[in-house]
Amino acid sequence: MNITITFRNRRNPFIPIEAEMITPDAFFNNKEICVGEGNRMVHLTELADVGIDGTASSVDEIEILIRGDAALVKRVGEYMTGGKITIEGNIGMHCGNFMSGGKIEIHGSADGWLGREMKGGEIICHENAGDYCASGYRGGRRGMRGGSVEVFGSVGDFTCEHIAGGEVMIHGNTGDFACAEMKGGIVTIFGDTSRVCANMSGGTCYVYGSAVEMIPTFEKKGTISHDGLLFHHFRGDVANRGNGDLYTVRFTYLQ
Amino acid sequence: MEIRDVPCPFCGCLCDDISVRLEDNRITGVENCCTLGNAKFLSKSRLQHPIMRKDGKWIEVTYEEAIDETARILSDAMRPLLYGWSGTIGEAQVVGVHLAEEIGALIDSTTSVCHNPSILAIQEVGHPGCTLGQVKNRADLVVYWGCNPIEAHPRHMSRYTTYADGYFIDNTATDRKVIVVDIRRSDGAKIADEFIQVKPGGDYLILSALRAMVRGKDEVVPDSVAGVEKVQLQRVADLMMKAKFGAVFFGLGVTMSRGKYKNVRNAIELVSELNRKTKFTISAMRGHFNVYGFNEVLTWMAGYPFAVDFSRGIAFYNPGETSVIDLLERKEPDACLVVASDPGAHFPKSTIEHMASIPTVQIDPCVNATTALCQVQIPVAITGVESAGTAYRMDGVPIRMKKVIETEFPTDQEILERIVTRIREMRSDG
Amino acid sequence: MAEILLKNAYVIDPISGINGEVMDIAISGSRIVEDASPHSEVIDCQGLLTLPGGIDSHTHTSGTKVNFGRYMSPEDMRAGRTSKKGHMHITSGYSVPTTYGNSYRYSALGYTSLVEGAMAPLEARHTHEEFKFTPLQDSFANALFDGNWGMLRAFEDGDIKRAAAIIAWTLTAVKGFAIKLTNPGGTEAWGFGKNISCINETIPTFDLTPAEIIKGAIKANELLHLPHSVHLHCNNLGTPGNFSCTIGTFGHVPDVNDKRQSLYATHVQFHSYGGSGWGDFCSKSEPVANMVNFRPQIVIDMGQVMFGRTTTMTADGPMEFNLYRLHHDKWSNHDVELETGSGIIPVNYRRKNLVNSIMWAIGLELALLVKSPWQCLLTTDNPNGAPFVKYPEIIALLMSKKYRDAEFETVHQDTEKRVPLPAIERELDWHDIAVMTRAGQARALGIIDLGKGHLSPGAEADIAIYPIKPDEIDPSAEYEKIIQGFAQTEYTIKRGRIVSRRGDAIIDGENTTFWVKPKVPAAYDMQHDTVFQELFERYYSVRMSNYPVQEEYLHRNHCIETETDL
Repeated sequence: MNITITFRNRRNPFIPIEAEMITPDAFFNNKEICVGEGNRMVHLTELADVGIDGTASSVDEIEILIRGDAALVKRVGEYMTGGKITIEGNIGMHCGNFMSGGKIEIHGSADGWLGREMKGGEIICHENAGDYCASGYRGGRRGMRGGSVEVFGSVGDFTCEHIAGGEVMIHGNTGDFACAEMKGGIVTIFGDTSRVCANMSGGTCYVYGSAVEMIPTFEKKGTISHDGLLFHHFRGDVANRGNGDLYTVRFTYLQ
Repeated sequence: MEIRDVPCPFCGCLCDDISVRLEDNRITGVENCCTLGNAKFLSKSRLQHPIMRKDGKWIEVTYEEAIDETARILSDAMRPLLYGWSGTIGEAQVVGVHLAEEIGALIDSTTSVCHNPSILAIQEVGHPGCTLGQVKNRADLVVYWGCNPIEAHPRHMSRYTTYADGYFIDNTATDRKVIVVDIRRSDGAKIADEFIQVKPGGDYLILSALRAMVRGKDEVVPDSVAGVEKVQLQRVADLMMKAKFGAVFFGLGVTMSRGKYKNVRNAIELVSELNRKTKFTISAMRGHFNVYGFNEVLTWMAGYPFAVDFSRGIAFYNPGETSVIDLLERKEPDACLVVASDPGAHFPKSTIEHMASIPTVQIDPCVNATTALCQVQIPVAITGVESAGTAYRMDGVPIRMKKVIETEFPTDQEILERIVTRIREMRSDG
Repeated sequence: MAEILLKNAYVIDPISGINGEVMDIAISGSRIVEDASPHSEVIDCQGLLTLPGGIDSHTHTSGTKVNFGRYMSPEDMRAGRTSKKGHMHITSGYSVPTTYGNSYRYSALGYTSLVEGAMAPLEARHTHEEFKFTPLQDSFANALFDGNWGMLRAFEDGDIKRAAAIIAWTLTAVKGFAIKLTNPGGTEAWGFGKNISCINETIPTFDLTPAEIIKGAIKANELLHLPHSVHLHCNNLGTPGNFSCTIGTFGHVPDVNDKRQSLYATHVQFHSYGGSGWGDFCSKSEPVANMVNFRPQIVIDMGQVMFGRTTTMTADGPMEFNLYRLHHDKWSNHDVELETGSGIIPVNYRRKNLVNSIMWAIGLELALLVKSPWQCLLTTDNPNGAPFVKYPEIIALLMSKKYRDAEFETVHQDTEKRVPLPAIERELDWHDIAVMTRAGQARALGIIDLGKGHLSPGAEADIAIYPIKPDEIDPSAEYEKIIQGFAQTEYTIKRGRIVSRRGDAIIDGENTTFWVKPKVPAAYDMQHDTVFQELFERYYSVRMSNYPVQEEYLHRNHCIETETDL
């Protein structure tokens, strides 16, 4: 089943749309798709043109294509278990929240909290992602637990905060405090990063660029060769009784 | 006539030993106040009638007209924001929360621009704290980190810490030590036994270093961290571990430095670690006298201390998404009610520009920077002077604010209740 | 005046001696009356189980540390959220619900009165504010005295009457209901990071032992003729081997009141541990229950642990810190000057964890081994052992050996070597349950005379009608029906009005706060005592005139005046 959702321009384009029902699961279960716009609920068709083509015998056979201005459309793909969502342009916050299966591909950029508390499945973002990419929720101990996220551009601050499992790959740079409170999982950063792995207790992080403002309480463990490059190996965060591994090609301290 | 033991409605210290002298229902003098409290009690200028903009000019209107217009603005909005709250009492804040729930609004307070990060940190690691009297009676080591009590909380040191009499402290001059951490030599630094001058943004790093040292892992720390020598950090760690009772107080220097809640989290984790060796507490130097009160009220009513979005019929909380600055920068709210605070004076330019472009109403006794952004302003009684109610001190102790002057002005609680009633009438009229 | 006639109610009212009679109950205004008027609204209960409204004698729902528990746990808030519905406001919170959440959910369980387990006098205003927003249950506050400097000084001097006078002044000032002691001596020691491990150990800052504090408080309580007895959270909560401290404490309790117990020991499950460490941790419910069986002057409540996530919160600051070191999760602490302490940490009780499995068994054992249900009341020390919404499951476990056995299959396999539970055959009956969830509480709290806990004419019309037909269910076999039946009333009636119907609160409600005011003679009025005043002048950070909870915080309230022997 192929579904195309084209968002129309709105009179007040600044009010976000909460679209937790735009998931393969909801379409598979034939639900009436409603979205939140400010303090009211409306049918999706009031804000977008929706075209449905074909049938599906399982969630995995459902493919959703989102077009138009979706930069403020939040929670797309929330709790999805299978199928595919493709977004032509930018997408709003919380895309792929809690997902446990399926695939989301964003051709533009994603706003904050991409793949929050993910358990499984795959997210690919061709441009940039905002703050809290692949992270957890306030007060929670574990963030992302499984699945994979790949961002071809750069990401904002606090990416992979509280990550406990899964794999994340950032091709560009990260903002500040990437992988803070990391507990598990594997994160690879091809660009530069700042204050990476602060308060880490477990997991593995590779930085191919520069780790700026290194946390001073990581123990130097020598160097290793990986992927044809020489990485400095750090264990920590000692301040937190941590046993995570941070491998970085370059690093500097704040002086 | 003199009224004694009046709580002061200015800062989070909530000093409740103020004496107010009155003559003919006017305050003629105050005693025991600091300069900030003085200014609040003796302030004169205020708005006498509700005002509304009409054809680009301000006109005086009746309370009924102002309330009517406010109800219409809020009722019509798709994403209304109710902001402020820190300068009023709990009984009014309760009405604000009910109103937000009823119209599916966003509600946030000045917390968002000051100790929001402290709360986020507490939500990650908890808050090992105590009431201020515990510090007064027991603390032999006080740490002021990223704050300047002499300017912002003038009586903090004399009522609660360094200069206060304490049951277990024989000689405050010699028995209490003070550590100050700041990016520059503040007034507080001058009276400190140990002053750490940290590079801007370096607080997180030295907190990590201190934690490792308290754990006995000095060897992992480099010779200097964020401009601070390792030997000084070792001295400080030592002072902390040898204290009988250490009390850490922190302010915007920590919460508003890069990293924000991570800085506070690290400070809290340092204090938790120190508790394995001795007794330590940490407290936030809350700014407004009842900012904490709003956190308490919103929490017991809706579950979260600030930045709540009621638009989906539940309470949703996500600072960074539902907090006031982020909302205004993204131009989300299409109507705004400001109560008991002055965002016009404090907020970033782009956010103020958005507020000015949407229908905004302010409930406040005085003309202030926010007035320029509004369509309507409704003056009310000054809380803690002309109206009584509950406030929560920076350490969570609830104190009842007093009414010392009779007034014709309605209270903000009354105005909010009338707005709620009017909205209900409008909705049932269809 | 609104009038209701409940017809064909299957009534169990232990205090009135009714055990399974199908009868009518007439309500006029807020009270139960002899006869119904012809204008009564008639509700046909169709033989459904009808009990007096539930009374929780120890729960943490309102005040500083409860609110701490909420705002430090946004993940708990989101796990328990509900939408606006009819009269009901939005709620949040799974183990620490918001005030409306507590009120609606307790009302759905048929509860009409709640005793807040721990209120620090300095922060009483906060508790009373939250009471107002828990509108479907009447409120009682246990005021904390375990570290109260004024009282401790008086005990040091051996001056019980002075101690009683200070207690009287404080209870009156903060609109409290009873004397609560939490880890007496320990919370004061925690002021400098220490704790007490033996009731005969002198505390570091006062020349007193916990045993002396407890005995002194019991005497003072009786001098003031307070309706409830001293309410005690024993020292050494949670420590392996602490059962001997519990028994030692119980041994000190004299029998000094003929209407009720002389000591109410709370959440005793947490105080019935054997072993010398976590490795040989085991249940000592038998000796503890034995002690209670031989001492009618003691009433306990279970403090049952149920598996799953919850939040622990008590005034026992040092205990919470130790728990934090075990769990490595978030930790909040809040010591209250001159008075007490508190700590909050989230926990997860797991079946795979042997210690947790033993704890789960112990609570049930206490309820089954204490012979009289009047002496062992049902609680979870909400939310410390489990959120109160699990009460129906606990009732089912107590009524059904089959359910206990089924659950026992799922706990840690070594549990059976450490606990006597599998061998206990007893199954509690409807009457026992009615006692343990309301009648027993009313007697222990001393509020029968206020019209609470029973359904005789003159009583407050607080009534719970459950969708259970006792003659048609075998609780021993059909435990699922027990759980469902107690989870949601058909009707909960409070003060003569239907407040909850099949799980939904249908009115906004307005509760009553009950508080005590011992009538103290002038010579013992602390208001004018210079030594007492000095505590405020020099050591408190709040002025004495600002300390008492003002009238404005009591909306509807009932002041219980007592005669004193001062």
